[in-house]
Amino acid sequence: MLRASVAAESAGIPTATLVCEGFLGLAASTSVGLGMPNIPVAAVPGHTGVQSKEELRRNILGVTMDDVVRNLTGEVGHAESETEPGARDVIFKGGFDEVNQYFYENELADGLPIVPPTREKVEQFLRCTKRSPDEVLGILLPDSRAATVWSIAVNGVMSGCRPEYMSVLIALVEAMADPYYGVEHSGNTPGGETLIVLNGPIIKTLRFNYTQGVMRDGFMANTSIGRFWRLYLRNVAGFLPQKNDKATFGNTWRVVVAENEDVVKEIGWKPLSVDMGYEAGDNTVTVSRFTGGNHISSISGSTPDEMLPYLADAVVRQYSWQIMFTVGQGMGTLRPLILLGPIIARTIASWGWSKEELKQYLFDHARIPAREYERILRDWTAKPIWNLEEEYRLGRIPRAFFESDDPDRMVPLVWEPDDYMIVVTGDPARNSAYVFAHNGVLGYPVTKKIDAAAAAPRRATKKG
Amino acid sequence: MASNDGQYEVLWPRSPRQVQLKPLARRLDTLEGKTIAQLWDFVFRGDEVYAALEEGLKERYPNIRWVSYKEFGNTHGGEEREVVAALPRRFKELKVDAAISGMGA
Repeated sequence: MLRASVAAESAGIPTATLVCEGFLGLAASTSVGLGMPNIPVAAVPGHTGVQSKEELRRNILGVTMDDVVRNLTGEVGHAESETEPGARDVIFKGGFDEVNQYFYENELADGLPIVPPTREKVEQFLRCTKRSPDEVLGILLPDSRAATVWSIAVNGVMSGCRPEYMSVLIALVEAMADPYYGVEHSGNTPGGETLIVLNGPIIKTLRFNYTQGVMRDGFMANTSIGRFWRLYLRNVAGFLPQKNDKATFGNTWRVVVAENEDVVKEIGWKPLSVDMGYEAGDNTVTVSRFTGGNHISSISGSTPDEMLPYLADAVVRQYSWQIMFTVGQGMGTLRPLILLGPIIARTIASWGWSKEELKQYLFDHARIPAREYERILRDWTAKPIWNLEEEYRLGRIPRAFFESDDPDRMVPLVWEPDDYMIVVTGDPARNSAYVFAHNGVLGYPVTKKIDAAAAAPRRATKKG
Repeated sequence: MASNDGQYEVLWPRSPRQVQLKPLARRLDTLEGKTIAQLWDFVFRGDEVYAALEEGLKERYPNIRWVSYKEFGNTHGGEEREVVAALPRRFKELKVDAAISGMGA
């Protein structure tokens, strides 16, 4: 809403932005990064989602309407810019505990101790890339700060990364800055958390875990790079909880998931990086946001026909309101991700199934009745304009959603089979899977190549 | 509390903001006879909120005019960038004087 209001104000059109009471702080934080900290807002008492029709009407007429009139015709507040340190400034001097206390109290850390980002440490990271420290990879909302190579190094140090991870960190921030990913939505109320999937030989070079316990902390590369993502979102993009990060509940950051490319190659499948448009053997990061997920235990059977009904059913069970990203707010942007245990992938492939055939199966069988779509979106979550027949007749959604007018017809979760993302990883000895609930356009999958060629050869630190 | 584990000179983990303060648009002297655009992200009952605002403001400003959210599209969906980028042009075409944007929730 505020981005639309800022566009209007910039075009000379005065605005009133309607904001529910509990979101006024978020509006105040967000407006700073948009360059209009004094943009006026009109308060909506409480939250519209839990009010009767009469209560809502009373609140709008009794409170909001006067705010709207004031916003559009009254005096507006004076705006002042904040004074901040320079990009390379030393901001504090002290011991380990004092540094950590300073960072925590100034909202520069996540609540865990950080590695103090000294110039010496930062320069170690910068020596692992040929990219200029001043290079800007993008401007990140909501704070509108420059995503520089320098700031990547500083936050990489803080997160506990090793200098040789630098090329991965740079690729991650390139993904974060990609408009298709939509970093500006990272503070939305469902509070989805990004999952990073790693592909390529760099998995072994940097010793990522790609087998048992792949989502568990305890492996330096997986863990520290996962932490880096969240610290960078906080410090550079500007997503601070209870300010620009309005997650209702939120999640802790996720460790990096690396694919088991040995198994992928053995069974003749392609890694996720190839599905995302890169060459096999490329080092890549893929980022996408998920509101949650579930471990699907003991997928049993010796044939795909025995195994896959359970998996398709499990996929359906992870999705509720998120189907608004299939029909509605996101329109075809739902991308479910399934982590498939190696022995399941091996069993499916042993019957001659390709990954594409698995995706087709899920498209055909992970379905829900049309009436449930409309009940979830229109009746339960108060998004009143979505009707599958109407959307189909307007040419806005594929035929698969309206093959008949039977309200019990089964409709897919996604627009096309390739919307499913499959990654082979996890315990090679256990027949389980993990299904993630995707956040659609608010964290759309983006893959970036890790520029290993830009990794500068390590040099000894010169002193004096 | 002092510590004996050495001294660290630590760097700023943020980076400079790349946005300058921008002036707000000039406010209107009245809403009477003015055309107000409704911008909506198609959630959180904005349709009902706009219906109530239309009703209430019509009583105060009998000649106020409205341009429905249906004219602009979803300001927060998959087409947000295109919809927001088109707003200045659409405002001119529709002779809009002011805009209300919702729903922040």
